[in-house]
Formats: sequence, C-alpha cells, structure tokens
Amino acid sequence: MTTAPDAAGEASAMLIDEVGSLAARVVGNVETVIAGKREAITAALTVVLAEGHLLIEDVPGVGKTMLAKALARSLGSSISRIQFTPDLLPSDVTGVSVFDQASRRFEFKRGPVFANIVIGDEINRASPKTQAALLECMEERQVTADGTTYLLELPFTVIATQNPVEMEGTYPLPEAQRDRFMARVSMGYPASADELAMLSTRETSSPLDRLEQVVEVEQLRRMIAAVQHVFTSQPVKEYAVELARATRDDRQLRLGASPRATLQLIRAAKAHAAMHGRDFVLPDDVDALAVPVLAHRLVPTSRAVGTHDRDSGPLIDAIVRRIVADTPVPVGSARRN
Amino acid sequence: MHPDQATLSSGQRLALSAASFLLMATSIMALGPLIAGSGWWWLCAFVAAGVLFGGAGLRALRVRGGLVPVLEAVLLLMLLTLLFGASTSLLLLIPMPDTFALFGELITGAQRTIAQQSVPAVTVPALSFALALGVGVLSILLDVLVQVARRPAFAAVPVIVPLLIPGFIVESGIGLPIVVVVAASYLLLLRVDVRVNRRARIEQRRDDGIATVTAPLRVPVASTLGASLGVAAVGILAASMLAVSTPSISTSLLLGTGSQSTLFARGVSPFIDLGRDLRRPEARPAFRYLARDGDRPYFTLLTLDRFEGDVWSVADRPVDGDNTVDELGSPAGLGPDVATSEHPIDVLVNEVRTTWLPVPYPSTRIDGLQGSWFWDDESLTVRSADTNTAGQRYEVTRLAVEPTVEQLRSAGAAAAAAQVDARYLELPEEMPEIIGTTAANLAAGTGSSYDTAVAIQAYLRSPDFDYSTEAPVDGGYDGGGFEVIASFLEQKQGYCVHFASTMAVLAREAGIPSRISIGYTSGTPTTDRVDGVQRVQVDSHDLHAWPELYFSGVGWVPFEPTPGRGSVPEYSRPGAGQSPTSVLPTGPASTAVPTGRPDLDPDRGLAGQAGDPLSNSAPMQAGVLLLGVVLLLSIPAIVRALQRAGRRRRIIRGGAPADAAWQEFAATAIDLGIGVPAGTPRAVASAVAARPAFHEAEARAAMLRLRDAVERSRFGPDGAGRSDLEARAGLLRDLGAVRRAMLRDVTARDRAAATLLPRSLVERVARVPGVRAGGGA
Repeated sequence: MTTAPDAAGEASAMLIDEVGSLAARVVGNVETVIAGKREAITAALTVVLAEGHLLIEDVPGVGKTMLAKALARSLGSSISRIQFTPDLLPSDVTGVSVFDQASRRFEFKRGPVFANIVIGDEINRASPKTQAALLECMEERQVTADGTTYLLELPFTVIATQNPVEMEGTYPLPEAQRDRFMARVSMGYPASADELAMLSTRETSSPLDRLEQVVEVEQLRRMIAAVQHVFTSQPVKEYAVELARATRDDRQLRLGASPRATLQLIRAAKAHAAMHGRDFVLPDDVDALAVPVLAHRLVPTSRAVGTHDRDSGPLIDAIVRRIVADTPVPVGSARRN
Repeated sequence: MHPDQATLSSGQRLALSAASFLLMATSIMALGPLIAGSGWWWLCAFVAAGVLFGGAGLRALRVRGGLVPVLEAVLLLMLLTLLFGASTSLLLLIPMPDTFALFGELITGAQRTIAQQSVPAVTVPALSFALALGVGVLSILLDVLVQVARRPAFAAVPVIVPLLIPGFIVESGIGLPIVVVVAASYLLLLRVDVRVNRRARIEQRRDDGIATVTAPLRVPVASTLGASLGVAAVGILAASMLAVSTPSISTSLLLGTGSQSTLFARGVSPFIDLGRDLRRPEARPAFRYLARDGDRPYFTLLTLDRFEGDVWSVADRPVDGDNTVDELGSPAGLGPDVATSEHPIDVLVNEVRTTWLPVPYPSTRIDGLQGSWFWDDESLTVRSADTNTAGQRYEVTRLAVEPTVEQLRSAGAAAAAAQVDARYLELPEEMPEIIGTTAANLAAGTGSSYDTAVAIQAYLRSPDFDYSTEAPVDGGYDGGGFEVIASFLEQKQGYCVHFASTMAVLAREAGIPSRISIGYTSGTPTTDRVDGVQRVQVDSHDLHAWPELYFSGVGWVPFEPTPGRGSVPEYSRPGAGQSPTSVLPTGPASTAVPTGRPDLDPDRGLAGQAGDPLSNSAPMQAGVLLLGVVLLLSIPAIVRALQRAGRRRRIIRGGAPADAAWQEFAATAIDLGIGVPAGTPRAVASAVAARPAFHEAEARAAMLRLRDAVERSRFGPDGAGRSDLEARAGLLRDLGAVRRAMLRDVTARDRAAATLLPRSLVERVARVPGVRAGGGA
C-alpha cells in the first residue's frame, strides 16, 4: 500500500505509513498467539487506535482474554484485569480512599481501572452498580473519588468480555450501556487446523510469555494522534449518516443506531484507514466496520426475532449487512478542482 | 432487471410504454411510400397500442415481469383474431383451428402479394395481416427491451426494421423528416427512461421514510443526456447518408433498372419494372438473336395468369425438376390439325439479368444453356433455379402456330372454359361498370369468341386510343388493376400494360380465357449480318406486355391491342377470314409496326438528364452502400473511441484525471466481458484482480495505483489528488498497462466484440451510484 507524498504535511504522511506498518506488525504478533482470528484482532486494534472500548462476546474458552492480553503486551501498555463477580463493588474497580496513619490524611488507592488496557472479564456478572462505575470511567476517562478527580492515563481502552449463553445470575448490559462500547466482536471457534496447532504450541508453556512488545506506549500515542488527523470527506460522512438513518427506519429494528454510534463509526473508520496506511477514509472502511460498530447497539423487533432463537446476534448482523448493501455508495467528492 | 435500475411504479411504466408506442407509431410511418392510403397506419398503430398498453396494463395488475411478453403475444393473437379472423373465432377473440388455417392462408397470400404487388401496394387483407403481425411482434420486442431488459437504448433495433425496408424497395427511400421524427421519438424514450429511473430511485427511498440525501443520489443527467445526444447524432447522420444514397442503391442493385439490367428480380410487380424500363431515356441492350429463316417472333419472359382486381400476378407453381429444357412440353390445347412450323433461333443475351429466359411461345427445345433451367407446365415459360440470363448463348427452336380463321372461329367458348384452369376466367365480383358495358358493347353482334376478341383488339387499336408512357406515370397508374383499367377506358391513354390488361379483362368478361405475357417484341435489325441474315438487337425499349387468349383446338393465341407496338398477328386482323391478304386495320399508330419503336416520351431529354448520372455508377453506388453499412455498424465503435479520447483528454488536462482514468478502466473491463460489480473502486478492483490478467505483478500494481488515485481523488483530503504532469502521465501509463493486460487475458473474439459492440456504452457502472454487488474493503 503506497500513498503519494502529501502537500498537506510531510510529517503526518510519514506517520500514516508508519501507522500502517506498525499496525500490521501488531496484528501479526498477536496472531502468533491466537491463530486464525485476524478479523477480531484487527477490530480490537482498530478500537484501541480509535480510543474506543471493545466488547468481546462469546462462549468461554475461545481466547477472549488471551486476545486482550496479547494485544496489551504487543502494545507495550500497562494492563490490568478485573474478574467481575456479583459481589464486586464499584470501589473494587475505581479505587478506594484509605486513611494513612502516618500522614493522617486519606490517601487514594488507585483501582485496576488505572491502566492503558483494562480487561473486564465477564462484565455481565457484576451488579449494575459496579457496571455503571466502570462505564462511567469508560465515558469520562476519569475517576472521581471523595471530591477529587483523577484523570486516567491515555491511551485507555476497556476490553470487556461477556458470555451470551450463560444467563443465570447475570446482569446483561442494558442497551444504553452497550452503546458505550465502540465495537463488539465475536471470536468464534478456531478452525480445526488452528486448534490442532494450538494444542502443540501450548502443551508446555503459555505463549504469552514469549510474546514480544512491538510498540512503545509513546509510539501508540503518536499512532492515535495520527488517526485523529485522518481526513473524512463529506460524501463519506453523509454515507455514515445515511447508514445510521437506515437502521433507525428499518422495519426489522426496534432500536436504531444513536448519533454516538455514527460518531464512533467514523472514528473507527479513520483508525481502519490509518491501519491500511491511508490518510483519508473510504466508504469501504465504513462498510468493513458497520457490523462490529453498529450491530450490538441495535434491537430487533420481536417479530423479526420470532423466527430466530434467543440469540439475535446473527440476525442483527444480517440486517446490518443488508442495510449496508442497500445503501448507495457515494460517488465521491462533489468538489472538482 | 438490471441491478442499477430501481423498481418502477405502474405510472412510470406507463410513461415508458407511451414513449415506446410513440416510437413504434412514428417508425411505421416510414413504410408510407410502400403502401397506398393511410388506413394501414391506423391499423398498425392500433395493434402497437394494443400490445404496448396491454403490457402496461398487465404490469399494473402486478403480473410478473417475465410473463408479460408471453401474455402480450397472446394479446396480439387475440387482436389479430378480432381484426382478421372474427368469423372463424369463438366470441370474436378466441382463435379456433379454422382461424389458424385462415392465418396460414393470409400469410401465404401476403408472401404472394409482397412478391407481386407494385409500390405503393394496395392493402389487401393479406398485406394488412402481415403488417399487423409484424408490427405486433416488433412491439413485443420493443416492450421486452424497454420494460423487461430495461435497455431502452436497444429500442433502436426493432425500430430500424421499418426504417430500412423502404430504402430497399422504392427509389426515393424514406424522407428525411421521418428519420428526424423517429430519432426524436427515440431520444424522447431515452429521456423518459432516465427521468423515470431517477424519480423512481428517489421515490423508492421516500417510501421507506428515509430523508433523501441528494448528493450521492445525483444522477449525472448531463452526461447521460450528452451520451444519448451523441449516439443519436451519429445515428441520424448515418441514417441521412443512407437515406440520401438509397435511390441509387435501389435503382441499380436491388431493382435492377440500372446498368446491370436486372429484370423482375425483386418481386415488385413486373408491370412496374416494365413501365420504368419503357420510360428509360436510353435503351439498354437486352439480347441479340439470329433467325436464319428471317423469323421475328415475340420473346416471352413470364406469363401473368392470376387477376385479383388490383394486381396481375403469376400463380404460384413449384418448379418441376423433370421439366428440363432439352425437350419442352407441348403447348396446351394445340390441336393436330393446326399448321405448325419449326424455326431455330440463336440467342445471345448480353446484359439483361433475370431468372426468366426470353423464349418465343411456344418452343420445343432449347440447347446450350448454362445452369439449371426448367419450363413451366402451363405457360412453357423457362426459369432458372440457380443462375440468370446474363451472358447466356442458346439455340431455341420455336414452334410457329399458324391457325386459320376458321379454326379459331369454330372454337366454342364452353369448350375453352372446360379445358383451362378456372383462374384464366376469374374476375373479382365487384368491378367498375365501364368494363362490363364496354365488354357487352364489343361482344354484341359477334358470332364467336374469336370475333369478340378481334373486336376488342380493333377497338383498342382504334384512333381513339393513344399510346403514351408519360400520362399515366403519377398516381400509381403503373399497373393493371381495375381502377387503372377503368380510368384507362375513360382517358384512352396508356401503354402496353394498360392495353394488354384491358384486353385480357374484357376477354374474360366475354368468356374467353386470357392471360398476359410479358417479354420483348421482335426487336430492331442491325447492320451486322451472318450468312446474309441480319442479326436482330432487342433492347429495353422492346419490353412489352400482350394478351394471350385461349381457343379450344388451337391453344393460347397472342393478340396485339397496343397501337404502335409490335406486330399484329395475321389471324387477328378484322376481316382476316374474308381476305387473308389485307393489311393492318385502320389507325395512324399501326403504321409504326415495322420497327415497333413508338415515340416514347416527349420529355425524354429532360428525363435523360435526371437519369444519366446514375447510369454508369454502379460500383460507386455499391461503395456508398458498403460505406453506409460499415458506418452504421461502426457507430458503437466510433462512439466508444470518442469517449476514450475524451477521457484521455481529461486525464491529460481535465479536473479529475484519476476519475477519468478509472472510468476508462472500468469501461474497458466491461467491454471485454470482465465482470465489474457496481460499487466502490475498491470493490471493483478486488473483483477484477481475481482475473488471470492481474496475476502478473506489474499489471496488478498498475491497477492498484489507478484505484488508489481514484480513491484519493474522490475521498482524499486534497480532492483531485496529485494532478501535476508527472501524475497524469503515470495515470496514462498505468491505464495502458492495465488495458494491455486485460486484452491479453481475453480471446480474439472478445476483443473484436469489445471493439465493435462495446458493452460499456449501455452498462454504466463506474459513475452511476448503484447498489453494490458486494461491499467490504
């Protein structure tokens, strides 16, 4: 993938190329641990670069946590992991003020949320109150305790996992809270060959131990900055708006995409473009991300679900794909110079 | 339906049907020069309206798209039943087996009438049926192209049929105004289609309650209209060229009245050709003959025996393969006691080109012919199945029949009627009164059929009648129909066709079987002598028509009612029985008999000036025809080449070079039959990259560079992207590399198809926003 040198700014263009190659190396690196899941890995990295949060929804044991850990290690960022349980308290997530006998003052003990990448395992097992605390951190990127506000270190990405099958004793994320995740991916079972290969590599030790760090945190920040400078043309923006509108008016959907969804779709598309070494967004970037970014926010009508079983995921994915196929692709910039 | 096309409402479909109908109705106007009157146009328009609007109605009833043409065919059948076979049908509309039998007869009749009628043709029911059927079928085709295939540009195909026919038949071809009107209707149809499509797409989105985002929806109307106008302009130009050149084409190559001297080849009425040839200012040599004993007979080409009120024609008889010319059959009805004598004649045909051989009637044998020639059982005319007369040299043995007046007079009318086929006496029931009264007057007081015949001939040769090839020219007077005969009997002016057909009809009215022979009079002796005998030259001014009447015991006997032409047979002179030596009857014209060369046309000089430029230019006319055809066939290639040149210009100088390059790439791929999905450049590129042409790294890289350039141009931060000279040159280079790779990838046939019939002209994908075949980056 090549881009022509750009009159707009030499530095930005150089960085875009670098973003592309670094991203490819990160994806390749993570792939050594989780074989055959390039799509999920790419989506996860896209979310990190777009400063969003990722929801991984799948059955246990397919490598959700492994993906999050491998990604964090590759990116050289600090990582913490919270195993959500029904009795987990909000302060177990955000941190707690403790009275220091020596200094005779309350001192704030930072919780696990103070990390670049926070893995929230089985987020649906926590009580709504705890979930809300985490989600507030995700949105505000800060923690407020006892009147003091502590900013979270950037980059900050929550990778939450959720088990869609086990329903007893869980508190599934309500629509409003699912909306805060930029994207949702499913891992899916590995192909037989990949599974076989996994058996031989993991026999003795965890592959994570051998995983190299590809990017420094400082580099990651520059990558994120480069993503922010990716150009989005008017037709592409209109296209994203059009897709969102289509979900709101679709007969099979009860709840369509929110304006936040549109915003995040464009952000994710910018990251996607940058990862491919491009400093502008294509409708194809939007297309590629429509399902991971939009699907988890949509609620099908009961009639549409009627024919499916309880798991409406595949149904909504199909609806989104249909909407994408039915929406005319923009021809291009009206500008002619 | 094309993926680009939105679903249309019934109102929009109706608009398309109306535009199609307008196009059909205007294009059949082009047949005007061929057919008399205007009633046929209303009939055709009615059928076209029935089919096209019937189809629209069916669609309004939500009949499935593919089923509509089938139902339209059923509708056409019902319409035809109503119009032509109501008496044999059930409830006027439902055809029964008898109806189909009737249709079969009508089709056979139509073939006959098309082959034998003159232009403008009289609309006999069979011809009306053929017209209605043809227009109905063309309308269904038009409907399929416009409504089912949604390719209105191809509507030109069915419409070109009525536009082309006149050029092949009549001298003047079609008028330019009609071409312009048809072209305008065609443009209107294209315009309606574009508008309807755009509206449908917008409305469809409104139906879903989605606020319309107009920017990506904007149909490039200007460019679509521009392309349509371009195609139409080239089409009109080519059609005008064809229209202008058709007179010469039809004269020389198709009707055979040019220097090639083709006769009766195209099946237009023989009478018409005969009239035209007689009016030709310069005589064209037909053939020379040498009769050692000085015999100077008439030469018959063909014999017309069927009279249907409007036209004389040849009864359809298949060629009998046993009738080879080494021995001809014996003449019908010739009794043993009639005196006969044989005269050998050497004939050398120089220029005349026809499938009918000039032979005297009757002849006994012909030697020396090239090719297969067969004689007809009844008329003893000789026809070739595989060759023509040009350059033939043969010896024909003529059997001179010399009946006495007594033999002829003793022949009974009843006996004659019993011996010949009924069609030799057949007259339509309704005929102008003047024919009946004239026949009755002439037959009154005559004792026998023979005397009646002599009286008719004498009447027509009387000074009251003038020979003229000029007077009757306008108003379709070139013919032998009832109307023509009636006005001839009133005006008493005409030429051999009128005299012959009038005598034949009067004879039938008087109960004498009759037919008309067409051929040559005996010609003009030349100075060329062989063994002291003059060679005789026969040319186009010797073309002639004369009646032959049947008398029992004698057979077919020629008469000569035309004053100033040919020679009057001995037996047919009034008073021949009383004084066999008496010369011709009274009448100033009869003095011209020895040469048989009447003064044809006072305005011959003028006509000559008009006619001359065409006379010796057959190769040039063939060239013009060829050029016209080549031009017509190469219209798509020319339009495509212009388009390519325009895009190259845009790459070099235009505002959006990458866009132009990408459009050209997609168009080339479509031309070559490489499937290009509608969609973003990325989708197109990934689909095309799978082709073997792009397995090669260089071509693939070039294609990807084109893709990147167009993406940057359309969606990039700096709009058009790099448009410096180097970038433009790079685009051209990449485009060339990609094109070469694709050309290598396909067969020679695909390449030829891409050049001659570029599909991209009708399949617009690259710029029109459409629904994607498959998304994804």
